[in-house]
Amino acid sequence: MTLTEREFWTLIHGMVLGTLFLLAFGGGLAGLYSFREKYLTADGVAERSPRLVLGTTVMAVVAWLTVIVGTWIVYPWYRAAPPEGTTDLSTFPRSLLLSSPETAEWHKFGMEWKEHVAFLAPLLATAVAFATLYYGAQLIHRGEIRRAMLVFFTLAFAAAGIAGLFGALITKAAPII
Amino acid sequence: MQSTETKPNGPVAAAFLATGIGSLVLGLAVVANELGGDVSKFLAFDKNYGLGSGVGALSGKVTLMVLAYLISWIVLHFMWRGKEVNFGRVFSLALILVAAGFILTFPPVFDLFAPKA
Repeated sequence: MTLTEREFWTLIHGMVLGTLFLLAFGGGLAGLYSFREKYLTADGVAERSPRLVLGTTVMAVVAWLTVIVGTWIVYPWYRAAPPEGTTDLSTFPRSLLLSSPETAEWHKFGMEWKEHVAFLAPLLATAVAFATLYYGAQLIHRGEIRRAMLVFFTLAFAAAGIAGLFGALITKAAPII
Repeated sequence: MQSTETKPNGPVAAAFLATGIGSLVLGLAVVANELGGDVSKFLAFDKNYGLGSGVGALSGKVTLMVLAYLISWIVLHFMWRGKEVNFGRVFSLALILVAAGFILTFPPVFDLFAPKA
């Protein structure tokens, strides 16, 4: 039971960081949604705001780490061109997918969308993290900003979700080994 | 009784708008790469500037996005620091820019800009 270097980094990119992102999103979304004056006492606000800062900051950091690892470590293995005359394309996922009309769309649509849309997630998550860091407990009095944060937070999740879903499906069709 | 006095919203508005600008720049870079030619060659920051190895044009697209995002954030932050701005308007603009980023990074859309074979 071993992992190659490529499998290890693919696992870090997709499973470890992806799972952390999902956990941070779930906690952050619940925290942000309920961070309202009518739901919380002053003690409740003081207790919750550091957790909100932590959750949104973790989500932003994890989002950046995911795209950095994905782009600069995993992606070059995915798109590596096979040497002239190579017939076994199993270690060249992009070429393997493009070699058949039945799988080409996994690259042309799935990977092409995933590799770009994923980068919107860290931008959106960073704005949310910054707002929680900036306002802290004062966010309770800033309903308009809290609602905007919920929108950005959900869009960050959507962007990461699209990337994660296609990442899993593409890995199934042409794993990086 | 809690005080309802809060910090001005300018810095947060700056972060949100910079996100929109970064998203739009990514979308434009994706479209520019599809046009091919010199722009596409320029975006290969891995070959041109040693930013990664084997990343291809994606290295240039995301580097430009990050630069646009950071520079616009810094500029807007200093413009709006200590100020209360119309957050609703700024957020609406940011959302439009983010939506443009989403749309321009969608393959059926950016493929429209690829030279016809």
